[in-house]
Amino acid sequence: MTLISQQGATGTPRGADIAIGGTGAVSGRLRYMIGTLPIYALFFVLIGLPLLTVLAQSVMPALFDPVAPSFVIDPSPLFRAFASVRVDTAILHSLELGAAVGVTSTILGGVFAILTQRFVLPLRWLITPVPWLVFLTPAYLKAMAWVLMMAPNGYLAQLGLLSRPMSDAFFGIGGLVFVHTLSLFPLSAFIIGGALAGLGGDVEDAARLAGARPLRIWLRINLPLLAPALALSAIATFAEVLSDFGLATTIAKTSGFGVLTYGIYVAASDYPIDFPMAGAQSLILLALILTVVMADRLLRRQGSFRLISGRSRTARVYDTGRARWPMALAALLIAVLALYLPMVIIFLRTFTATLGHGLETSNFTMLNVIGALSPGAPASAALVRSLVYATFTALISAGIALILSARLDQAGPNARAVVMGLSIGSIAIPGIVLGFGYILVWNRLPGFRDWPFPHYGQPSLLVVGYVATALPYCLVVILSAVGQLAPSLDDAARLHGATRLTRLLRITLPLVLLSVVTALLLTFIRTMFELPVSQLLIPQNGSPVPTYVVRLLKNDDDGPASALALVAMVTAGGLAGGLWRVAQRFLTFGGRAAKRTSL
Amino acid sequence: MFNRSILVLTALLGSVALTAPVSAADLVMYDALDFASHVTEAFTKATGVTVDVVEPGSTGETLGKIAAEGDNPQFDFVWVDGSAVFERMLADGVIQPIPAEIYAATKYNALGKSLIPADHASLPTSASTTAIEVNTAKIAAADMPKSWADLAKFAGFVAAKDPNLSGPSYQFLAGLFQTNGVDAGKALLQAALTNKAISGLASGGKVTKALLTGDAKVGINQDSGIYAKMLAGEPVTVVYPTEGSVALPASLGISAKTQHMDAVKKFIDFIASPEGQAAMQDGDDTDYYLIPVIEGVAAKKGRTTDIPFVLLDGVAAAAHETEWKQWYKDSFVQ
Repeated sequence: MTLISQQGATGTPRGADIAIGGTGAVSGRLRYMIGTLPIYALFFVLIGLPLLTVLAQSVMPALFDPVAPSFVIDPSPLFRAFASVRVDTAILHSLELGAAVGVTSTILGGVFAILTQRFVLPLRWLITPVPWLVFLTPAYLKAMAWVLMMAPNGYLAQLGLLSRPMSDAFFGIGGLVFVHTLSLFPLSAFIIGGALAGLGGDVEDAARLAGARPLRIWLRINLPLLAPALALSAIATFAEVLSDFGLATTIAKTSGFGVLTYGIYVAASDYPIDFPMAGAQSLILLALILTVVMADRLLRRQGSFRLISGRSRTARVYDTGRARWPMALAALLIAVLALYLPMVIIFLRTFTATLGHGLETSNFTMLNVIGALSPGAPASAALVRSLVYATFTALISAGIALILSARLDQAGPNARAVVMGLSIGSIAIPGIVLGFGYILVWNRLPGFRDWPFPHYGQPSLLVVGYVATALPYCLVVILSAVGQLAPSLDDAARLHGATRLTRLLRITLPLVLLSVVTALLLTFIRTMFELPVSQLLIPQNGSPVPTYVVRLLKNDDDGPASALALVAMVTAGGLAGGLWRVAQRFLTFGGRAAKRTSL
Repeated sequence: MFNRSILVLTALLGSVALTAPVSAADLVMYDALDFASHVTEAFTKATGVTVDVVEPGSTGETLGKIAAEGDNPQFDFVWVDGSAVFERMLADGVIQPIPAEIYAATKYNALGKSLIPADHASLPTSASTTAIEVNTAKIAAADMPKSWADLAKFAGFVAAKDPNLSGPSYQFLAGLFQTNGVDAGKALLQAALTNKAISGLASGGKVTKALLTGDAKVGINQDSGIYAKMLAGEPVTVVYPTEGSVALPASLGISAKTQHMDAVKKFIDFIASPEGQAAMQDGDDTDYYLIPVIEGVAAKKGRTTDIPFVLLDGVAAAAHETEWKQWYKDSFVQ
């Protein structure tokens, strides 16, 4: 096995091909600039510019004034935001919640990834699909399911399983951390699981040969090697919580736990929009995220390791004998709370007419499902539209992320750090802010508003908006995988005369294909249920699934909303699950059969 | 490599353009009404004029989208609950005044005529009002509230919408201040809305849900929403306060930039016709339980129209909108 530090113990250091020296260095830098500029421009147009149009209003409040627009700089919205007790409280709440969930989600996701990847578990078929299915379930539906369960007159109370004090306790920060953790642990599991797969079995084997016991191997070898992934998981979930809107507008709102995203939503959902306040709160939110990202980089400058080389060996899978049952039950408990229980509630609501009559026999009906499946009905038309949009979004996002990751890996640690930081920062950008930014750029800014493609009000701009929200995730997943590739692989191919395109398609892509497929399916699933951008960039030719579901929920039509969501989840989940099985069968790094080791 | 990469991306984006054709409908409608989509289908069937329906979500979210579009509105007409907000959109040049001949051609009943705004900012198409929603499983018939003032008896268990998020809710607030006086109206609400967890909800659906889940016993809600749930079998009922309540029109506004005025006029003609009125009541969701404003048209079965209405002073409501909404947010929203 080859263990290579970020500074490059072997192979050519990252970015070396752009610093040859003398005249060659100048022309090399020029080529580098010309080569990377279009990519940065794309990134800027997709995320940077829409964000700037919103943030700028925190210091230029009259920028988009309908009567007298002006560029006059006036920081009063920022002062107004900081002077507001409501905003200050929301900042503290967001930080408190993000920090708590960053820790709990990383622990839960890490435990889940280790259990499922490194141990032989019975009932595995009930456990391993859970992270994907939890991701498939949109936050607003998970929140709805928990509210239906835990409310004072909800399903659990109707069954006599929940007292009023227990219900009251749930609607507070404890319940929020609980639901957020169950909702976000898949993100941690994906990140930590990806790093676990990259560890291989070489170091463990060496430690075992040196007489180390399994616990010591995990504490002294695997855990330190996984530290960057654990930190990334904590930061990604922290950013995800800060940018969350699904729970912010449901359980957090009901609990009186105001967070920044809800404040932005309130400022942006009226006529006229309080854009200066929305911009100021967005600026505060982004500053919080970037501060954490920068702090993380300062803390672990030396912490990145490159572990996959041409000689990596597959990690061992432990068979713990009878102890595998408690392990399976622990994983199953996570699965039940995160997925099966909320799904049962959504399923029950799908097949019942009203909430008030609960589980009475006369309350059961098929009408909601029939309404969602009828050909030509608005619900099924929305489903077809969303499937098409999600497919294009996934292909485009994963494609851009792969090209960008490969390029950045060659461009040196600074460019990589900038884009990684920007990506993680972008995860924290609330979709509602990005969506408004898209309206301002593509419907208001001269030069953009008249472009035929993409054009505001058409599906093309909605797909571009989806790509903008998905690209940071794809970059985090693919850039992490590309970052683990030893530079020697690319160098060897380059010395053999392979062009950049050949190296990308024949060296990089096969080694990170599983991550690319992961990013692709992740994007497909998330796009199916992406809400804020869908709402703001809703095409004139009809609603996608999220806006239609939320419209039903708004009218308290939980039954039809649950039915459409269930049909959409089954359809999208079936497609994604099928692809994932094919990918796992043929693309697992290091071969299909994993070795088993008895403890 | 990057030129080729950009070419690949361009091809992908181009394929999106090919598979997602540009809207070719005759009209674009922004709305936040349950029946609007159904009515446009009936309209297209009757006239052949096609309509793209854009429904971003709640009334607030729809208005937020319009505000973000600013001086480049993409709709031909907007159809939502409320009236005061149309005055502001007219002042900002987002919409244009409704032509006088349209009002003249529409056969309004007395309520409809009373709802026509002086500045012709909007066209009232139906009405509803705000009432007290009661959970009949929690409140015995003898203990039902009778007036807004009675809500204080249920302090801590009164659900209400945030006027900052709900157009109908602002109409209620302005109407309460008009009938009771601003100070007395504020005192009344402060006595009743003592639980911030349920006094700043985002929609009528959430008010009903608060009642059904037991968080609230009574709520301040749009009466059409209460009828929809009551007639669907939920254990709620509607009580009209003795002080009277403000009529809330569903209104239509015409974009200042529309290039399709003739088609818009055809649509307005249709919704004032018997076929259009029938389509507006041909469903079971909230907005279908409307109060007709067209002469000779009856409401859905089970829906009361004999209500002590108060007509809102739209000018005063618009003038104090920012101040009163802020007061509500500071007082009752978490």
